[in-house]
Amino acid sequence: MKTWQRSLVAVCAFLTLFGGVAYAQVSGASPVEFPYTGNRTAVWIVAQLHTLFGAFILGAPIFIVISEWLGYRKQDIRYDRLAKELTKVTVILFSMTALTGGLFIFVLLAAYPQFTTWFINQFYLVFAVIYPSLFISGTIVLYMYFYMWDAWKGEKKGRHITLGVLLNLICMITMFVINGPTSFMNTPPKADGISPQDFLETAGLWDKIVNVSWLPLSLHRIDGNLAFGGFVAGMIAAYMYMGAKNQEERAYYDWMGFVGNLIGVGAMLFQPFTGLLYAYEMCDYDFSFCPYMMADQLSMFFEMQGAMIGLMFLASNYYVWLSLKRIEGVEKVRMTILAPIVMVAFPFVMMVVMNYYWIPDPMSLVFLLPLVLAPFTLGRIIPLTVSARTVVKIGFLMVIVGDAIWLTPHGFAPTSAKMVAELELPEAWNFLSSMPAKLSAIFTLVFVTVVNYVLYNRAIKQGTIIWGKIDFASQFVLIFLAFSSIWMMGLMGAVRSLVRKFFHTYNLMPDFSVESFTPTLSYSAWWITGISVVFFTVVSFAVLVALRTSDSKRPVPEGSPVPARAK
Amino acid sequence: MGNVIKKLSIGLVVGGALVGLTRALEFPFIFQMMFFGQAIFGAAVFMLLDAPSLSTMNGVKSVFAIVMFYIVLCVVFVSGASMWPQFDPEEEKSKIAKVLEPKRKATEQGKADELIARAKALDEQVKALEVRLKALGGDQVTKEPVTGELPVVNKAAAGDFMKLGEEQWQLQECYNCHKLKGEGGKKRGPELDNIGSYLTVAEIKQKIMDPKSFMATGFEQEWEKGKMPDKFKDVMEDSDITALATWLSTFKNTSVNTPKPIKKK
Repeated sequence: MKTWQRSLVAVCAFLTLFGGVAYAQVSGASPVEFPYTGNRTAVWIVAQLHTLFGAFILGAPIFIVISEWLGYRKQDIRYDRLAKELTKVTVILFSMTALTGGLFIFVLLAAYPQFTTWFINQFYLVFAVIYPSLFISGTIVLYMYFYMWDAWKGEKKGRHITLGVLLNLICMITMFVINGPTSFMNTPPKADGISPQDFLETAGLWDKIVNVSWLPLSLHRIDGNLAFGGFVAGMIAAYMYMGAKNQEERAYYDWMGFVGNLIGVGAMLFQPFTGLLYAYEMCDYDFSFCPYMMADQLSMFFEMQGAMIGLMFLASNYYVWLSLKRIEGVEKVRMTILAPIVMVAFPFVMMVVMNYYWIPDPMSLVFLLPLVLAPFTLGRIIPLTVSARTVVKIGFLMVIVGDAIWLTPHGFAPTSAKMVAELELPEAWNFLSSMPAKLSAIFTLVFVTVVNYVLYNRAIKQGTIIWGKIDFASQFVLIFLAFSSIWMMGLMGAVRSLVRKFFHTYNLMPDFSVESFTPTLSYSAWWITGISVVFFTVVSFAVLVALRTSDSKRPVPEGSPVPARAK
Repeated sequence: MGNVIKKLSIGLVVGGALVGLTRALEFPFIFQMMFFGQAIFGAAVFMLLDAPSLSTMNGVKSVFAIVMFYIVLCVVFVSGASMWPQFDPEEEKSKIAKVLEPKRKATEQGKADELIARAKALDEQVKALEVRLKALGGDQVTKEPVTGELPVVNKAAAGDFMKLGEEQWQLQECYNCHKLKGEGGKKRGPELDNIGSYLTVAEIKQKIMDPKSFMATGFEQEWEKGKMPDKFKDVMEDSDITALATWLSTFKNTSVNTPKPIKKK
């Protein structure tokens, strides 16, 4: 895509955005009825697409700059090339974010004119001034960052990296700002003894933005966006690897997939914790959110989440397994026997400990920390070791066990009102569906993955990694991780919106429309899948336009700048 | 092939053992099947670990493989989500409509809708009267509608207060935290079968409107954390809270250990 074409898309997007905000001030409009999808699903589609594009353009610059800095520091051109290629894709997706953002405002206005007008008036300064200003600033800085790449190299590289840091700063502020209205819809500010309506009259813009779920949502999104950016980078690498015409290209994209996956998995490890913090704050705000999510209408959404997380952890560990196979000398890599022992004991010990010392009781750490650290501390003393393959295989077993614990519900009923004895766990085994059990499952998945990646790192250091020779199945793993990550974002986004029940803004603005109810998980899954497919199609097109075209123009190198065998 | 048979056999043995064990421990059939399924899934994972390497694809073949892979993912995700028990939205719709009705009426649009509905009803009554007038003669008809309509109106105005209270229990989903008549609960809040022996209607109403006003013995932590939402005074009509409190005050089953409430405000 040429500069003028990108600019045209960006201009259209901003016109739509500003037009939408201005149109919102015209009162008395009647809602439009969207055919086939209905109004709520129409808003859902556009909002989710906007969130996905937004997540990428906020997440990708974080590791683009890190990658560029690593390339500069290590004098490794691969990092620089990775950063530049991803920036090309980001530039296209930046326009798509603005376009879907504008469309979102229009669809919201058409579907829910009264609510949207009220909502925009609550955050007029944000929607009309701050957010567009930040977006425009971000676009300008991104374009500068991209077009100054070749001009600011060598001694001027530091200047270019600073520009990238500035871009990240703007992106981060943009996300924090827009999370204000988003989190406000779930947890508007309130005070004891005053009705929410009366409190809102006295609340300033800052009070509305800094509501109780604003910070947890922002933390969860930073982490999620980084994981998402990493996995999408891995997916781009997989596409390019599959289309590579020579070994050199294959070596490079194999390495890119490795880096993307590493960042994606690294960020994913923190997601359960930021997610728990977010849920904790939500339940603290209004405890009725908790049973609605965990025991009632949304309980099966969380079962699906458990299944998806289990699959993602299995996939990320499977990538390690496939990667290990192409490391020469991996058979010599060994690990202390304490690692698999702790892996096996961990979920059960944690379940017991958490039953006695529930969060935030620090006593739980007294038992759990020494256990977790045992392979790294006592492992140096105890001489017994096992092979890397054995550790990874036991790890797989425990991921399956951990996910089985996570997936064990209190009962196979969509709501607690429908629970009967034939669908319910025996009372003596109810602990399997309790929060300590779920938490022990999450920690097991995280612990196993950390051990496997530590082992992987050791194998890379001790052996010789042969880039471009990875099992071809690994490319499907990278695609799977990206698709699942996006699907999960859609699922959890749906939960975040549905938790408001029959309110547009919880307890403040009721949703009187006929679509004000909890949809089935199956219905939601159809739309989440559809939205993910649309997103993937656009990203695939962006990759094709940005990378394949430039790839065909690149002159054939005389030598091989990327060694096929490198440590 | 040997790898598949070996792993499948192990999966079947482990799955069978899990089914036997869970049956002995009186787990319902659906849980037995779930554990069996997980054992087979585990076997499939281990088959994949020892599967031979996939050969490199290029060009159209790799594009085709990617498209097919996406199709498989879509089918698996949608069908996977559809296999879990599905909540029926129809059960919720009438509930939500009842909860939102007073709010809808309070809005300008709601008021306009109500006026239109009333006008339509009056119009229909007039038309019905006209028909009867034509059939019976003017002097006979004029008195009848008044005597015929009033009892209905009075009955509606009086309402079934207890039924309304019970309905509010369901609409506000109090059963999610409180056990009553042996249903609901999960120990999040106190069991309420004997609440009428401890609190008056006014006190129950006070507790609903201001959850910090009373603390149930043994629920100190929940009280301190403010587990009971303080939203009901805002989301419920005053008459609905009174109806719910009145209905709850009738529960005086001393055989149930309802914790004693302590007045805090």
